Amino acid sequence: MTLTAAWRRTGCAVLMLWLIVGRAEAHPHVWVTFHSELLYAADGSMAAVRHAWTFDDMFSAYALQGMPHAKKGQYTREELAPLAQTNVDSLKEYRYFTFARADGKKLKFSDPVDYWLEYRNPALVLHFTLPLKAPIAAKALQIEVYDPSIFVDFEFAKDRPVSVNGAPQCVATYDLPHQPTPAEQLRLSQLDSAPLDASSTYGETFANKILVKCP
Amino acid sequence: MTKARTVSSLVLAAILTACAINVVSAQGAPFGVSHAAPVSGLTGWIFAKQAEFYRSLSTFIRASKDDGAAMWGLFAISFLYGAFHAVGPGHGKAVISSYLVANQETWRRGVVLSFVSAGIQSVVAIIVVAIAAVFLGATATAIGLTVHVIEIVSYGLVILIGLRLLYVKGRAFLIACRELTWREAPVATVASGFGGKSFQLLGHRAGAMAMRAGQCQFEGCAGHPHGFHCEHHQDYHESAWSHAHGPEPAELAGAGGWRRGLSAVVAVGLRPCSGAIIVLIFALAQDLFWTGVGATLLMGLGTAMTVAAIATIAVSARQVADRIARTRAGFGMLAMRAIEVGAAAGIVVFGALLLVGYMATEQLWMFTR
Repeated sequence: MTLTAAWRRTGCAVLMLWLIVGRAEAHPHVWVTFHSELLYAADGSMAAVRHAWTFDDMFSAYALQGMPHAKKGQYTREELAPLAQTNVDSLKEYRYFTFARADGKKLKFSDPVDYWLEYRNPALVLHFTLPLKAPIAAKALQIEVYDPSIFVDFEFAKDRPVSVNGAPQCVATYDLPHQPTPAEQLRLSQLDSAPLDASSTYGETFANKILVKCP
Repeated sequence: MTKARTVSSLVLAAILTACAINVVSAQGAPFGVSHAAPVSGLTGWIFAKQAEFYRSLSTFIRASKDDGAAMWGLFAISFLYGAFHAVGPGHGKAVISSYLVANQETWRRGVVLSFVSAGIQSVVAIIVVAIAAVFLGATATAIGLTVHVIEIVSYGLVILIGLRLLYVKGRAFLIACRELTWREAPVATVASGFGGKSFQLLGHRAGAMAMRAGQCQFEGCAGHPHGFHCEHHQDYHESAWSHAHGPEPAELAGAGGWRRGLSAVVAVGLRPCSGAIIVLIFALAQDLFWTGVGATLLMGLGTAMTVAAIATIAVSARQVADRIARTRAGFGMLAMRAIEVGAAAGIVVFGALLLVGYMATEQLWMFTR
């Protein structure tokens, strides 16, 4: 073994080691099954998204820890009010994991209204409504729900994941994403730092995407 | 020789750069550097598996309420989850490995330290949940806050340990650097002398070196450049491996060495794993706290196996490098010192990144802050 080769081999070993050691990807500790309802105003413009997010049982137990309640195994909406407040407050930082586009243009949401928690043993369900800053009438509307950091794993509810309220002329479809492959999950986790360019269609392959088409 | 040295320095530079880049890229390029994501099938598979194990934990915990035998299934899954989960961020792999590399630790000690740190991690999770949830009835918000404070202390200690190591190793590096130039110069001088050039042409410093060379000749090196070199070579080995370069292996193996190693693993192990906290509280909600404790300890065991395996690779890499360095007197020595400095700097960088939140991917307090 020549010295150069030896160095190269060491280099490889160290490199491999650092690849193993240094990989820091998120992994979910919270699973959310969600239902979204799109609220339309009388004039035919989309005004808000009403979410119902069901947390997984382990995270629900964690979130409920120490919450005072009168009856064992039961929590009323009033008892859960402070927790609901905390939830929506802390979700602001993550933009409610809800990203909307109308005819290709990004839309902005205001702070949530009409929020509460419901306990359906063994899971917590967070209800909240996200009003659009400016209601919009669009031919094609797209709403995505996901966590770029994958700390939270979002999944469409099995039955009736999407519904439209107040616009019978519009048709909502959703892309039931295939279970993202690990490779896609990795890419997904890097969206913040390495955003997709405008022409990329990569997102369409995995996102929890809701599409509303109006005449 | 010059060519080999150039290649070696290039390789070394590549390694150090790779380390630095990896630290940055692993954080999702916090400094705004956009890059193509390397997608590894193995890593992806590990992530998918650990998510699967985690999700089945709740089923197993529920099952063990009615069926004692299900507990064994729970323990097996907990162990597997720990082993797979530890491949992800946190869990001190990076810090422990860097520490072992910087400190010339043996693989046996690496394994022991990995197990101790994973053990501490489990015990801290159990203590936090026992005190906060069982005795105080604290809310998730309070527990999240407690964990957050512990994290900050842990990362702070990691930085301090890294800085101390960086100081020690940085000094050793500078000394090795100085020794190397001290050794190199006479060879060059004598060689050029033999080439028929005058000593006077060389600077003042080289003149001093030439004096040394002259002394050497008096000591019976017979004025032959190779004999001269040979004598120095021996001298070099003595000085390089025994004084002024940080602790000797023997010294490290003593009680003091253990104490230093423990301070590092305590710093790393202080931070409990979010998964363990959630599992413990879920078990507590099912009135199965002790089952949760068992599951947490087995998760720790699984984590320890993974961390120990990675630490062993780190130590082996270092030992291979050591062996090569010994065959390449001057530069090899310097390269080892440089690797140590790099590893120490790595600890500081990891600690700092963790502290400012680039690596805090397990935000236990996300919904409950």
